[in-house]
Amino acid sequence: MTTTTDELRIAEIPTGITVDPVTLDIIEGALKSARFEMDAVLFRSAMSPVIREQHDEFPMLTDPRGRMVVGQFGAYINEMMDDWDRGVYPGDVILTSDPFKCSASISHTNDWLVLVPIFYEDELVGWSSQFGHQMDAGGPVPGSLPTGAKTIFEEGIIIPPMKIIERGVVQEDVLRLILNNVRLPEMNRADLFAIVAGCRAGEKRVMELCERFGKVTYLAALEALLDRTYNAMKFLISVAIPEEPQTFVDYIDDDGLGNGPYKMQLTIWREGEHAFFDWSGTDPQALGPINFYLSEGMFKMFIGIYLIMVNDPQILFNDGFYPLLHVIMPEGSLLRPRYPAALGCRTHALARQFDVLGGALCKNAPQLNTAAGYGTSPYMLYSGWDGQGDFFYSMEILYGGIPGRPIGDGMDGHSWWPLFENIPTEYLEAYYPLRIDGYTTVTDSGGAGLHRGGNGVEKRYVYLEPGEVSIHDDRWLTRPWGVLGGLPGGRSEKILKRADGSEERLPSKCDHVVVEPGDMLVYRTAGGGGWKDRLDRPVETVVRDVSFGLVSRENALAGYGVVLNDDGSADEAATEAERARQRAERGDAPNFDFGPSLEEVLANCKAETGFDPPSPARPLRWSPLEAAADALARVRAGDGMPAPS
Amino acid sequence: MAYRLGVDVGGTFTDLFLVNDESGATQFRVKTPSTPSDPSQGVLTGVRRICDEAGIGVGELQNILHGTTVATNAVLESKGARVGLITTQGFKQILHLARSQTPGPLAGWIIMQKPDPPASLADTREAVERMDASGSTLVAVDTAQVERIITEMVDSGVESLTVALINSYVNGAHERTIGEIAERLYPGFPVTLSSEVLPEFREYERALTACMNSYVRPKVQSYLNHVQSELAGAGATAEVNILRSDAGLMTTMEAARNPIYGVLSGPSGGVAGALFVATKAGFKDILTFDMGGTSTDVALCQDGQPTIGRETSIGHFRIKVPAVNVHTVGAGGGSISHVPELTKALRVGPQSAGAEPGPAAYGKGGEEPTVTDANVVLGHLPPSLLGGEMSLDVEAAHAAVKKVADAMGLDSVEQAAEGILAIVNENMAGALRLVSVQRGHDPRDFALVAYGGAGPLHANAVAEIMGSFPVLVPPAPGLLCAIGDLVADFRDEFAQTYIRVLGDASPGEVADILDTLGARATKWLEGEGIAEEARTVSFSADMRYHRQGYEIPVTLDPADARAGLAGLEERFNQLHEQLYGFRMPGTASEIVNLRAVGSGSVPKPELPTGSAGGADASGAVAEEHEIVFHGDRLPTKIYDRAKLAPGNRFEGPAIVTEFDSTTVVLPGYVAEVDTNFNILINPKV
Repeated sequence: MTTTTDELRIAEIPTGITVDPVTLDIIEGALKSARFEMDAVLFRSAMSPVIREQHDEFPMLTDPRGRMVVGQFGAYINEMMDDWDRGVYPGDVILTSDPFKCSASISHTNDWLVLVPIFYEDELVGWSSQFGHQMDAGGPVPGSLPTGAKTIFEEGIIIPPMKIIERGVVQEDVLRLILNNVRLPEMNRADLFAIVAGCRAGEKRVMELCERFGKVTYLAALEALLDRTYNAMKFLISVAIPEEPQTFVDYIDDDGLGNGPYKMQLTIWREGEHAFFDWSGTDPQALGPINFYLSEGMFKMFIGIYLIMVNDPQILFNDGFYPLLHVIMPEGSLLRPRYPAALGCRTHALARQFDVLGGALCKNAPQLNTAAGYGTSPYMLYSGWDGQGDFFYSMEILYGGIPGRPIGDGMDGHSWWPLFENIPTEYLEAYYPLRIDGYTTVTDSGGAGLHRGGNGVEKRYVYLEPGEVSIHDDRWLTRPWGVLGGLPGGRSEKILKRADGSEERLPSKCDHVVVEPGDMLVYRTAGGGGWKDRLDRPVETVVRDVSFGLVSRENALAGYGVVLNDDGSADEAATEAERARQRAERGDAPNFDFGPSLEEVLANCKAETGFDPPSPARPLRWSPLEAAADALARVRAGDGMPAPS
Repeated sequence: MAYRLGVDVGGTFTDLFLVNDESGATQFRVKTPSTPSDPSQGVLTGVRRICDEAGIGVGELQNILHGTTVATNAVLESKGARVGLITTQGFKQILHLARSQTPGPLAGWIIMQKPDPPASLADTREAVERMDASGSTLVAVDTAQVERIITEMVDSGVESLTVALINSYVNGAHERTIGEIAERLYPGFPVTLSSEVLPEFREYERALTACMNSYVRPKVQSYLNHVQSELAGAGATAEVNILRSDAGLMTTMEAARNPIYGVLSGPSGGVAGALFVATKAGFKDILTFDMGGTSTDVALCQDGQPTIGRETSIGHFRIKVPAVNVHTVGAGGGSISHVPELTKALRVGPQSAGAEPGPAAYGKGGEEPTVTDANVVLGHLPPSLLGGEMSLDVEAAHAAVKKVADAMGLDSVEQAAEGILAIVNENMAGALRLVSVQRGHDPRDFALVAYGGAGPLHANAVAEIMGSFPVLVPPAPGLLCAIGDLVADFRDEFAQTYIRVLGDASPGEVADILDTLGARATKWLEGEGIAEEARTVSFSADMRYHRQGYEIPVTLDPADARAGLAGLEERFNQLHEQLYGFRMPGTASEIVNLRAVGSGSVPKPELPTGSAGGADASGAVAEEHEIVFHGDRLPTKIYDRAKLAPGNRFEGPAIVTEFDSTTVVLPGYVAEVDTNFNILINPKV
């Protein structure tokens, strides 16, 4: 960080000090509470339902060197502050929304990221940071996530890292300039200050810890906590990551502009205590906005959390283990797109990345061996002008089928992303010209398995004012796979039922769908894949699912081999015979069941979905794809890792 | 003679406290074992005993005030009724989908255990009807269809019905129609309408709360019938009143109808009692600290009033009922400590050894190191509790805690034990921070009132972290809840949802609504037989900035409202700034609910007093031991609480024992006994 160093004193990390283990655990606990307090302050004071009701926001606290000690996504302070030359003072608040200027710590322009430096005794002891998804950031389409965007300039105002509050003084002119470019300036303003209030809560707690334990002990404790994660991860890597490379492949269906499917390929292997995660083989960056500019730190954090989840979920997870992981993402690929790529609709690749990671890891980490889920964040956006001439705009993230899991069935219609919540129907109907005709799940969309995949969501929106609708979804073409004898989950679909009785299918990614009062959108998201042998599912559980309306009688037979009597009970003898028949017909269950092959899926696309198949992905003229070997060599050199012997 | 009786049924003991309002000093206490299989038996035994001791007939009791955990236990033990749910077409899966949330961190869904909702999907039906968001009927209730689904459910064995329809918070007419149909078909069948239990928006929370009401209703109803008939059989004519979760009283009829309002009856009695005792001792701002075997309940009270929240957690569910803002954390005497292999960190809880097998020191087969075992190892819990009720197995405790010492590579078992206490104290301090600091209060301005079996053991250490002094330890923790039942006022809320941006709200209309709600509150108070001079009706508006999702209650007098709403807006802005650190003067503020709260005060009992015994406490010293504090083995006096007299003063380290609790005074602190036998602990100056 280039700073006017005469002003900024960064606290030294003390060396040679041992913090007693109990103090360490106490500081760990206090930091954890601080992080949840940051959440709580933001939820209670934010206006945007995306932050408040759906919890699309992420807090973090770091040490003086910018390493995350508590949070979700790993640190980004150093990358962001790399060429900062404007000094850092108590009372400053730094804001950015530019993914290309913070190493992709935020992945689209809707995320407004705030940094607050924490000073204690005139020294910088850490950073408090939080980002939240703004409802709108300007640009041609309400919500600032146009499905047809070809560059980031179509995705609203791009705020470079800058001080929005300098030494306690709000930079009103700058703020006015920013807010002048968005559709809901009042809401953005409120949510910005709510994010700042959340950061301040974190700042206060860190200062109290310095006061209570002394700055030196506090900082030494942070170092010890980073070490604790490092050591834990070193062990987990050695048991969970095989030396022999494992490769897994899955797809994003299309880029919204008719290109696709986009391949995502991950190969993992271990060299000693170091693990390599190589995304070479992944398709080139897309012209449309489905690129997911994946921060290296964030991806390391994802891997770490995945591995540690089942071992000590109470641990304060931090970036201490980063030096053990090496991530290869070729320049110009879907995950490392070049500026000025469009990034708005990155949630498909964000979600699919976890499916691919899970698939690649599961050989040596059976406790993580789940199927694939609905695999995206399905959005519905609706805007227009009401009868009084007032602008309205609503946006909602839907959920879908959670994969079948070792612990049990996948949840029906739940969020794969943690802590997100659905928006109450009564909220939607009170504030927007909308009526919800039904909010339920799609029967049979959960893949059959010993543990059933979750059903996708069906939400039926009735529009009460003329307006325009946008849809973002995926898994309309490829299926969420099942594992070890579980079947794939059902695909997503959208049907617009016009007030005049006509019907049309809508693509999974579209903007500017004109709707009239009384039109109804039936929005169905994908289900989750099943886990382990579907023919071993207890008969009484299948009977219960049918009585709940989650599985149909037909699918009880086809998916589980369960023959039902007229009263809904099972015919035991017929079931046994049917299961034996299906077992013989199937033979050995495959490890992964993707459903029909990609070739068949594309060949049947038009007939099954009503849409032409997308055209194969190609590199963009202005962004050639870096060769796999070059990318690997670049990362090895950058991380100081020798070439393998 | 007006005798009033407070009865608290706890897990182990039933405590009773009898006062005579005309001569406040006449008091009797009784403690009798609880009878969990049929709690009314313990109650009856206690009532008979206390009347005998007082030399009065059961018929002379004027009022019986009762805190009960029947509803709480039904939920915690999943032993409620089979609930049928009727909802709007298209929303059958409302409870199944819940809020769609999975826990953090990332990939938390992999280990999520989803609780079964209080009404099964198989027992949920959609009624043909629809109300819009303005409260107008879009589709009228289809009587024939509704008759069919009700019959179907009742025939299939459903024991309790809930009606929860979309937008019923604006207009509950459809729910009422369905309720009437059910009453016509099955007179007396328990039916809960969501718009009556919780007339507030957010359909899932409202439906869940209403279903939880249905879930506990038959159990509570039968318990209350039982208690009343048993008491009547014993000759009682007194009216029985039940303590609500918000520390107000309700009639048995109301408790049988809306038992969910009493789901935190037990903890709220503790808070009410603690607040009463503390206020008498001169402390109106307190943090309550109730540490039991498996969990700790904390609450903040300011200016002599408990904080009442609109949401509470019970079991796996978050339900919306007015309740004393009690925050519960899974840390108690039975909390088990463990050291994960991977991180070598010391974790305490949330797993608990419970009552069976209990801590290793109880000698009932427990082997896991618990918080109680750590206290035994250090000597904070003397091996033989006074009265000889139970002796503790020091060796077993030692062996259990040694497991932690070994796993962490510590030199001594004492070190591990102190570590366990430090961690559990920090967890509990975290809960206290949540109710204080996180809501904008400075804990250093509050006294800490400790009760529950383990509260007084840990209170001094927790107060040290929080800076909350004095620590006040009232005598006999079980008794405190019975006192809480006795001092509770009658309380009920009358609310109406009224969503208006302030600019669009008519002051006259707001005032009219408040007046109507106030009139309902007054009528209710009259019905409860509360004398006019004992009645209070207060008014508030739930406020937020337009489109925020959470509201802040702001006081609003109808007369002031009629004159204009500018004052309301300013008070809201101030509160928002106090709570969240900023205000938004440019943004419209919005009323969401208007509310009148009626309360009827009851006469307050005197607390036991004693004459001053001077500063010298040596007469109460029972023994002296070497006890470990901060790694040092210090000679420590053990005091018998029964022998401590008002005015006695002693320095830490010290241990005070009594029948059902033990108090620790740390080195560097000084304890003093006040006129009501409370122990007050302060830092030594």
